[in-house]
Amino acid sequence: MTAEQKKEEQPEFIQFRYPREVPYEHALGYQSKFANALKQGRIIATKCPVCGRCTIPPRIVCPFHHVKQTEWVDQGQRGRLISAFKINFPMFNSRTGELQNWENPIIAVELEGGARMDGWCAETDPSKLKTGMLLEAVWRPEEERQGRADDILHWKPVEE
Amino acid sequence: MAENLPEISSEPIVAGVTAHSNFLVSTGATGTKFLSELRDNKKIMGIKCPKCSKVYVPPRTHCPTCFARMSEWVELSGKGSLSSYTVVRYKEPYMPKEPPYAYGVIQMDGADTGMAHILGEVDLDKIKVGMRLEPVFKEQREGSILDIDYFKPSS
Amino acid sequence: MAERIAIVGVGQTHHKSKRPDVTTAEMIAESVERCLEDAGLQMKDVDHLVGGSFEVADGYHCPDKWIIPELGAVGKAGLELQNVGTTGGVLAVASFNIAATGLFDTVLCYSWQKMDEAAGAFGRGGGGANEYWTGQFPMSPITNFARRTYAYMDRSGCTEEHIAMVRVKQDQCALKNPYAQLRLGLTVEQVMSDVLLAWPIRRLHMCPTTAGAAAFIVCPEERAKKVTDKPVWVEDWFTCHQGGALTMAEDPTSSTLRHACEVVYKRQNIKNPVKEIQAWEVYEPASPAELRWMEEVGICEDYTAWKLFEQDKVGIDKEVPFNPSGGVTATNPIGATPVVRLVEAALQVRGDAGEHQIPGKIERALATGYGGQGENVIMLLRKTL
Repeated sequence: MTAEQKKEEQPEFIQFRYPREVPYEHALGYQSKFANALKQGRIIATKCPVCGRCTIPPRIVCPFHHVKQTEWVDQGQRGRLISAFKINFPMFNSRTGELQNWENPIIAVELEGGARMDGWCAETDPSKLKTGMLLEAVWRPEEERQGRADDILHWKPVEE
Repeated sequence: MAENLPEISSEPIVAGVTAHSNFLVSTGATGTKFLSELRDNKKIMGIKCPKCSKVYVPPRTHCPTCFARMSEWVELSGKGSLSSYTVVRYKEPYMPKEPPYAYGVIQMDGADTGMAHILGEVDLDKIKVGMRLEPVFKEQREGSILDIDYFKPSS
Repeated sequence: MAERIAIVGVGQTHHKSKRPDVTTAEMIAESVERCLEDAGLQMKDVDHLVGGSFEVADGYHCPDKWIIPELGAVGKAGLELQNVGTTGGVLAVASFNIAATGLFDTVLCYSWQKMDEAAGAFGRGGGGANEYWTGQFPMSPITNFARRTYAYMDRSGCTEEHIAMVRVKQDQCALKNPYAQLRLGLTVEQVMSDVLLAWPIRRLHMCPTTAGAAAFIVCPEERAKKVTDKPVWVEDWFTCHQGGALTMAEDPTSSTLRHACEVVYKRQNIKNPVKEIQAWEVYEPASPAELRWMEEVGICEDYTAWKLFEQDKVGIDKEVPFNPSGGVTATNPIGATPVVRLVEAALQVRGDAGEHQIPGKIERALATGYGGQGENVIMLLRKTL
C-alpha cells in the first residue's frame, strides 16, 4: 500500500507535541550531611536506636520504629552484593538529561556497616555476578565529586 | 569505626534537577474537525447539544450540563463581542505572543459560550468590554487554535 | 457505624496502544457512559465524583477542570487524587470511604491513562522513593522487576522457562477478554526469544503502555439495593505503602502484599484464602511478579508458585483462577489499572465476565493495586452480605 492510499483510508486526527524543560531545586535537608560525606569519599548512614538498622538514604525518623535517628554511622568502603540487573535498552541519564546505554549493571549492596544502597558494578558481565560476593567502592577523583550517588563510580569485585 | 575520622559538615545542600518532557496531545475526532476547518477553510465551527440546544465553541464532545453526546456542527461567522479582557505585561516561557498583548474572552454570535483568544490591531488602552470583534487568520495554518492569529475590532 | 457499600455499575474502554480519535476527557467519558448504562443511572443521579491518573505521565495539571465538564458533572462534589501506580487503588479506596460515610448516595469513580501521549515523560530518570538519591539511577518498572526476578529465581529454582509460562497463561486469558489490549496467541518459545530489556525481563514480560479508562459506581446499602439486583458488596479494603523496599526490606523479592492481605484476612476471618476466595485480579506489572504475588496472597508456600505453572494448575478454568482478565501484562492504563482489576473482579462476582468468566459460584474476589517499589491496595469483594 502506498502512503497516499493509506492517507485516504484513515481519518485524520490532529495531534501536537509540546516539549518542555522545567528546572526544580530540591532541598536535601537532613541528607545534606550524607552528600557532604560523599564528597569526602565516605558513606555514612543514620542508625535507628531501637532496631539498630542503618538506612540509606538517611532519614530523620526510622521508617519502621518511628523514632528519631540522631546517630550517624560510617559504613566503610566494602559491601556484599544483594541483587543486580543489566539494562539492555537506552535510558535517561538524569545528570545529562540524555538517553544513553548503560554498560555497568545496577546493583544493591549491603555495606559493612549494615546499610543497603544502590550502585553500579565494575563487572559488566552479569553471569559473573553472584549474590553475596564482596565488593569495594571505586570513587571519582575528589575534584569531580558533587555529593551525588554517582560520586561512587562503581563497585569492584574483591578476591577473598 | 567512625571515632577518629574527621567531622562531616551538615551544611544544607540544594540540588538542581531539570525535568524534560515532550508530551503528545490528541485533539480527538471533535477537536480535529474544529482545527481542520480553521486550517483548511478559515471557518470557526461550534457544536450543538441535542438536549439543551446550547452551542459550544470551541467544541467538546459531551454537553457539560446534559452529558449528552453532541454531533451537530454549526458554522459561525466568527464575529462576536468582547465579554472580558486583560493586558499581559509580564514575560514567561512558552507565551504565544511577546508581551504586552491583550487577551480576552469573545462571545461569538450564534454561540452560548465564550472563547479565549488574543486581541490585535487595537490600542491596548482603548479596549472596551462589548466591542465588536472579528478573527484574523494566519497565512500559514497548521491545524492549531493559533491559526487564528488574533481577533481585531470589526469595522 | 459505617454504611455497608456495594458496587452497582462498572465500565471500561476497549484498551488500545493508541487513541488519537479521542482526547483524554472524551476517553474517560466513554468509560463513564458505559458505567452509567451498566448501573441504569444517569449523571444527574451521581452526587460525588472521585477521579485521577498517574499525573506525571499525563502532562496535564488539574485535569479535572477539563474532565468534569466533559462528564456533564459541573457543580457536583468531587476529588482528584493521584498516587502513581496505585492511583486507581487509592481512588477506589477514597470512593469506598466516601460511600461508607452515608453522606453521599451515589459515588462515581473514574480513572484513566493515555500513555500514547506520554513519550518522554520520564526524562527525569527518576522512579525511586527519593528524588535526589535513587533518582540518579536509571530506574524504571523494568529494572525494578528485573532485580526482583533475579533475586526470586536465585532463591526459588524458578527458570526463564517458568516465567515464560506465566506470560503465556496471561495471554491465553487475555485472548478471552475483548477489552484487553495485547491478545497475541503466544508460545513459551516466542516469549523466551523476545527482545531482552534487562535480564531476565524481556519486552513481553512487561506491562504495555495503554490508552484506556475505567469507572465504577459505589453506593451505601439502601441505595445499592434500589439501583440493582446484582450489587457487589465491598467487604473490606486496605492500603499499604512503603518506599524504597528494594534496599530496605529484608527480602528483595517481597512487597507489602503479604502484610496487607494478612490484615484483611484477619478482619474478615479468612483462614484459607485459596478456598475462600474464588477469583483473583492481582496487579502484576511484569509477568514474573505474578509468582511472588501468588505466594504473598497466600495461594501457596514461598518460592513454590512456579511449580503450579509447571503442573498447569493456573488458568480461568483451572485450580487457581489467577488474573482471568489477562492481567496487567496484557493491559496497563497505569492510573486506571487498579480500577480495571476491581471492575474485572466485580464482573466475576456478578457472573458477567463473559468468555473469561471463572466457572462455579464466585462468593469472594480479591483485587489489588500495586505501585512504585512495593505499595499495595487491597479490595475484597463479596457476593452476599
